[in-house]
Amino acid sequence: MTETIKHKAFIFDATRCIDCRACMVACSVENNIALNKTRIWLAGEGIMGIYPDLQRGTMVYHCMHCGHPDCLSACPVGAYTKRLDGPVEYDGDKCIGCRYCMNACPFGVPHFDYDKGIIEGAFIDKCSFCLQRVDNGLEPACVATCPTDALEYGERDELLAKAHARIAAHPERYINHVYGEFENGGTSYLILSHVPFNQLGLPTLPETPVNEVSEQVISLTLPAALGIGAVLTVTAVGVSLYNKNKEKASAQKEPEDVK
Amino acid sequence: MKANLTIHPRLRMNISPLVWALLGFMALAGLIALYRYAFGVGAISNLSNSYPWGFWVSFDLFTGIAISSGAFIIAAVIYIFELKEFKPMLRAVLLTALLGYIMEAMALMIELGHPERIWYFFIYQNWTSFLLFIGLYVMIYIAIMAAELSPAVFEKLHWEKSINFMKRLMKPLVIVGAVISILHQGSLGALMLIQPTKLFPLWWTPILPVLFFISAVAVGLGMTIFESSLSSRYFKRGLEVHLLSKLAATIPFILGLYLVVKFFELFYSGDAKFLFNSGTMSVLFWSEILIGVLFPMIWFAFKRNRQSAKGLLVGAVILLFGMILNRFDVSWFAVKHANSITYMPTFMDPATYFPSWSEIAVSIGIFSFGILVFGLAVTYLPVFETEDHAHGPAPETGD
Repeated sequence: MTETIKHKAFIFDATRCIDCRACMVACSVENNIALNKTRIWLAGEGIMGIYPDLQRGTMVYHCMHCGHPDCLSACPVGAYTKRLDGPVEYDGDKCIGCRYCMNACPFGVPHFDYDKGIIEGAFIDKCSFCLQRVDNGLEPACVATCPTDALEYGERDELLAKAHARIAAHPERYINHVYGEFENGGTSYLILSHVPFNQLGLPTLPETPVNEVSEQVISLTLPAALGIGAVLTVTAVGVSLYNKNKEKASAQKEPEDVK
Repeated sequence: MKANLTIHPRLRMNISPLVWALLGFMALAGLIALYRYAFGVGAISNLSNSYPWGFWVSFDLFTGIAISSGAFIIAAVIYIFELKEFKPMLRAVLLTALLGYIMEAMALMIELGHPERIWYFFIYQNWTSFLLFIGLYVMIYIAIMAAELSPAVFEKLHWEKSINFMKRLMKPLVIVGAVISILHQGSLGALMLIQPTKLFPLWWTPILPVLFFISAVAVGLGMTIFESSLSSRYFKRGLEVHLLSKLAATIPFILGLYLVVKFFELFYSGDAKFLFNSGTMSVLFWSEILIGVLFPMIWFAFKRNRQSAKGLLVGAVILLFGMILNRFDVSWFAVKHANSITYMPTFMDPATYFPSWSEIAVSIGIFSFGILVFGLAVTYLPVFETEDHAHGPAPETGD
């Protein structure tokens, strides 16, 4: 199979967001989520500046669907999977509720049912990419609802090209950077903004995924285990032989001294 | 001792106030646990979406495992380096560590969202997750320690065949146990490697597992001294000061190595620039270095301090205090979670965390269980003075 798999993505343009929160409602309705546990939240500093120089900085914050997801790397039981066409999926049937993914995610995306007991079942929740819609040729609910096209959905390559074209067309309006193009190893949620990205609540991240060092170190586990085991075994055998020889030697040399 | 088969002793059973207190703490923790199973983790803890891990992870996991490292050290000293004189200490240390691990497993049973799925570690595995490795190490090492400790039970039951079988099995068992334990101590540090953006740079380093291993050796020795001192006081058992002072003599070297590696890494990576200008983080860092490393290093370097029971205990307590602070720093105090400037909705708030009373009560209850089982085990099983029959009384001369 040489055919490249199409990699889907979202793009969010902060200059177009009017903070109407229709995406939150659409998401909750589509996915049957209580509104107090919404998978989308509005982040950012809101209205900034002093009159008359006012700016709105709001962002539709949900799972970034990273290329090398840290939740996936961290999950001990493999409840996360990265689909080849982009979405990061969570499987509640495997989840043991350890919340290591929440620690691992640099965006603080996965959230947990702290109010559910053992019978109801406490699970992690996060944006699911609206797989039930996407797989049937529809756009995710938030994208379909957005009245100003601040949210768009499509092929990641095309969206990236579109983003750069938008910046090139209005360099005075945008910060010359597409957040998510390289951040954390590249994400499937791309962000254009007119205010610094940290004012939208986004962390400053390197281009390598935050799980890189962890995964490098974990690959040393087996060599380390074998190495430590070998050293300890050799030491044990060596000490044992040395002690036996010493005993033998002292027994042969002066047998009458030993009582 | 003759077994008394009448039921009268039960009526005469004398439960001391301390035991009543321990039972009370356990009952309270049990009630809190039931409440948690009914209404969720959030009902008994201040853990939140901003702070998914808190006091339980720092205390029961990070501290509990660190203070359990004495077992593999003493076992290795006796069975790998064949320094048989340390044998009288082995079982008490093993018991402490086994209980430490079991206590940690109990805390997990309350902390996990789905405690009934803990066995999923055996059927679903993601080999890039340090937490998977830690879960497996805990389960394997509990089994190994139970096996290493089983001769105490067999002696009580006079199962000579089993005792001899275990004697032959002991050496390979100790080697496997040491490998698992070393990896486990390192992996605990490695658990935080996935948070380079959250853990403060004074602590985050790719060699965190190495630092955790080195400090765990120091903590294990400190805990061995601490535990021996306490049990000699409460269980009227002789204190092997000459053995403990030999262990204590190695502490300055271990802590010295830790100090060299830690500061070499800080200057090599350039994180040393945070040493003095990071407010609370600098204070925490220097506290753990001064209390956990420098002070015990100097204290145990003096022969006078190593050769008195009081000197040993003081040094060990300070070492433990500093190193436990280190574990809390790495897993809690120095971890800054994404403080998302979310204004709608507000469920990501607050980005601060302080444990609730019930979180601490759960840990106290579990700890009480550990103390109680330790007391029962040393009362009914030959944990102390077991080798004395074979080797005669321990030599009095301190060298």
